[in-house]
Amino acid sequence: MKSVIDCRGVSRTYADDGVPVRALQGVDFQVAPGEFVSLAGPSGSGKTTLLNIIGALDKADEGLVFLDGVDLAPLSASELSDLRLHRIGFVFQSYNLIPVLSARENVEFIMQLQGVAPRERAERAHDVLARLGLADMADRRPGELSGGQQQRVAIARAIVTNPSVLLADEPSANLDSATTEELLNLLRRLNEDQGVTIVTATHDPLVMSYARRRVQLKDGAIVHDESV
Amino acid sequence: MASQTVRLPLSLLARLSVRNLIRNARRTVLLLASVAVAVASVLVTASLIRGFQDDLADAVVVNLTGHLQVQAPGYRDDPGIDHRFELEAGWQRALDGLPVAGWASRIRVPAVIMSERETRGMTLVGVDAQAETISFLASASYRGEPLVDVNDRRVIIGEALADSLKTDVGRRLVLMAQGPDGRSREAGFRIAGVYDADGTALEKNFVFTGRTRLHELLETDAITELSVRLDDSGQLPAANAALASVFQQQRVFTWQELEPQAAAMYAYADLGIFIWFAIMMAALIFGLINTLVTAVMERVRELGMLRAVGMRAAAVVSQVVIESAVVMCLGVVLGVLIASLLLNFWLVDGIDLSQWAQGAEMVGMRSHLQPKVMLSDTVFISVLSVVVGVVASLYPARQAVRRSPLEALRAD
Repeated sequence: MKSVIDCRGVSRTYADDGVPVRALQGVDFQVAPGEFVSLAGPSGSGKTTLLNIIGALDKADEGLVFLDGVDLAPLSASELSDLRLHRIGFVFQSYNLIPVLSARENVEFIMQLQGVAPRERAERAHDVLARLGLADMADRRPGELSGGQQQRVAIARAIVTNPSVLLADEPSANLDSATTEELLNLLRRLNEDQGVTIVTATHDPLVMSYARRRVQLKDGAIVHDESV
Repeated sequence: MASQTVRLPLSLLARLSVRNLIRNARRTVLLLASVAVAVASVLVTASLIRGFQDDLADAVVVNLTGHLQVQAPGYRDDPGIDHRFELEAGWQRALDGLPVAGWASRIRVPAVIMSERETRGMTLVGVDAQAETISFLASASYRGEPLVDVNDRRVIIGEALADSLKTDVGRRLVLMAQGPDGRSREAGFRIAGVYDADGTALEKNFVFTGRTRLHELLETDAITELSVRLDDSGQLPAANAALASVFQQQRVFTWQELEPQAAAMYAYADLGIFIWFAIMMAALIFGLINTLVTAVMERVRELGMLRAVGMRAAAVVSQVVIESAVVMCLGVVLGVLIASLLLNFWLVDGIDLSQWAQGAEMVGMRSHLQPKVMLSDTVFISVLSVVVGVVASLYPARQAVRRSPLEALRAD
C-alpha cells in the first residue's frame, strides 16, 4: 500500500548557541494510511523534529520527505501552507485555539481558508462537534472551556477537513489522566472507525499504549519500531 | 489542491481583526482617541486656515482688484491713460452662464491733488458708483456721502488722505492729471465724503469720482480696467477663459497675478494645512506602530498557529493591516464628529482677533476669523489619514510574519 508519509534518510541539524546539534540522523520512516503511530523517546531524541518535518513546518537538511506522494523539498512557503491546509490536521500541546472565536468558529475557520461554502462549513462543523460531544458548547469561546474540551475542539478543527494525516504533538501534556484517556479513546475511535491516520509525538506511556505502532527514537535515530 | 485555497479570506480576517481590537478594549479606545484628536485637530486647523484664506482673498478682491481684471497691454508696467481701451458692445455675453456677482469698468490714472494747505501725488479713479457693489466702496463707512452714480461730479477721499491734506467733507480740492494727448488738465472738485477703509493703503492713495466726470476732464471715453467679481471663485479659470476669448487685444489677469504677494500667502496657507497634518500624523504614527507591534508580539503564537495550519503569510499581514484600517476609519469618523461639534458650537461665531487687529491686518486678516469648512478638505484629510495608518501598519504586519510558523509556535 502506498505510504501517506515517506521519510528517506532524513537528517536535521540545529545550531544551539552556535553549537551544531544533530536532531535527526538519516531517519527512514513510513506510515501507511489508517495507522495510529506514536513517536516516543526522551527529550532531545528528535520525535518533535520528525513530526515538524512531516508536518511541513520544518525542512530536512538531508533526505527526502513525501506526504501523500508529494515531495516537500521543492515546495515554496505558499505551497507548503496550502499543503498543510489541505492534507494535514494539527493538534498542538497547548491547543492553540483562537481565543476570539467560538468553538464552532475555530472549527470552521480552516474550511473558510479552504474556500468551503458557508452552509457546508456550518453543517460539517456542527457534525464534527456533535461527534466529539461538543454540540452544546459550540458557541463558547476557548476561555470558557476546560482543557479537555479545548483539546477536543482542537481535534475537531484538525479532522473537519478530512486530512491525510493527523499530527499530534504531546496532545496530553496539559491534561489530567482521566481527560487524557477520554481524548485517547476519541483518537482511537477516529482511527478505527473512520480510518484517520494519526501520528503522535509523546513522552506519555498512556498515549503510547493506545497507538497500534510504537516508534522509539534516541539521539535522532529510530531505535525501535513495533506494531502491536 | 492549491487552487481551492482562498488567498485572502476577507470576512474571516475582518472578523478576527475586529474581535482582536475588542479583546484589548482599553488599548483600542486609547488608540481611537489619539486618532480622533489628531484628525479633529487637523480639520479644525484646516477650517481656520480656509477662513483666513477667504479673508485674504476677499480683502484683495474687494480692493478694486476683483477676481479678474481686463487691462490694456502695458498698463501693469505703466499704469496711465496711455494704456486704455474701450468696451465693445455685447462683451457681457461672454459671461453668460458663469456665476458673476458683478462687474465695474473704471478709468484709473496717476494724478496730483491739492488742498488749500498740501499737495501730493495719488491715484484718481473714475467709477460708476452703482456698479461698485463689487468693491469696498459699497461697504465702506463714510463721513459725508458716498458717490451716487457714474455722473457724480464730486470726489470721495480716504480718512488718511483727508488728514494728510488737512481737509474734510464739503471742502474743495484741485486735481491735476494728464490726458491722452499728453497735456495736463486740472479741475476743482468738492469732497462728497471721506471713506474709512480700515487704515489700508487705499485710504492714503485713492481718490474716486464719477467716471463720466473724469472722462470729461481727460477728454476720452476709454477705460483702463474692467473688474469682474464672481460668486464662486472655483469658476475663475472658466471666467478667465471666457473674458480672454472676448478681449483678445487686451490682457486678462487673475487676482493672484495682480496681487502676487497675497497669492503667495494664500498658497503658504495651503502648505500650512499639510504641515500641520504631517506633524499630527507623524506623532500619531509612532503611537500606532508601537501599539500594533505590541499587539502583534502578544499574539506571536496565535499568528504562528494560523500559519501552521495553512493561513498564508499575506493573509496574516492583511489581518494586521485590517486592524489598523478599522482603527483609523473609526478614529477618523470620531475625529470628524469632534471637529463638527467644535466648529458648530465652540467656533460657530468665529474667533475675535480684535486684540491683535493691527498684526492680523498686516497678514491680510480681518479682526474676526470665521472658520470655513470645506468638504473636499474633510474627505481628503480623512482618506489620507486612513492611507497613512494602513501604510504605517505594514511594519508591524511584517513583524507578524518575520518568524517561521515553527519559531512563532515555540515563542514564549
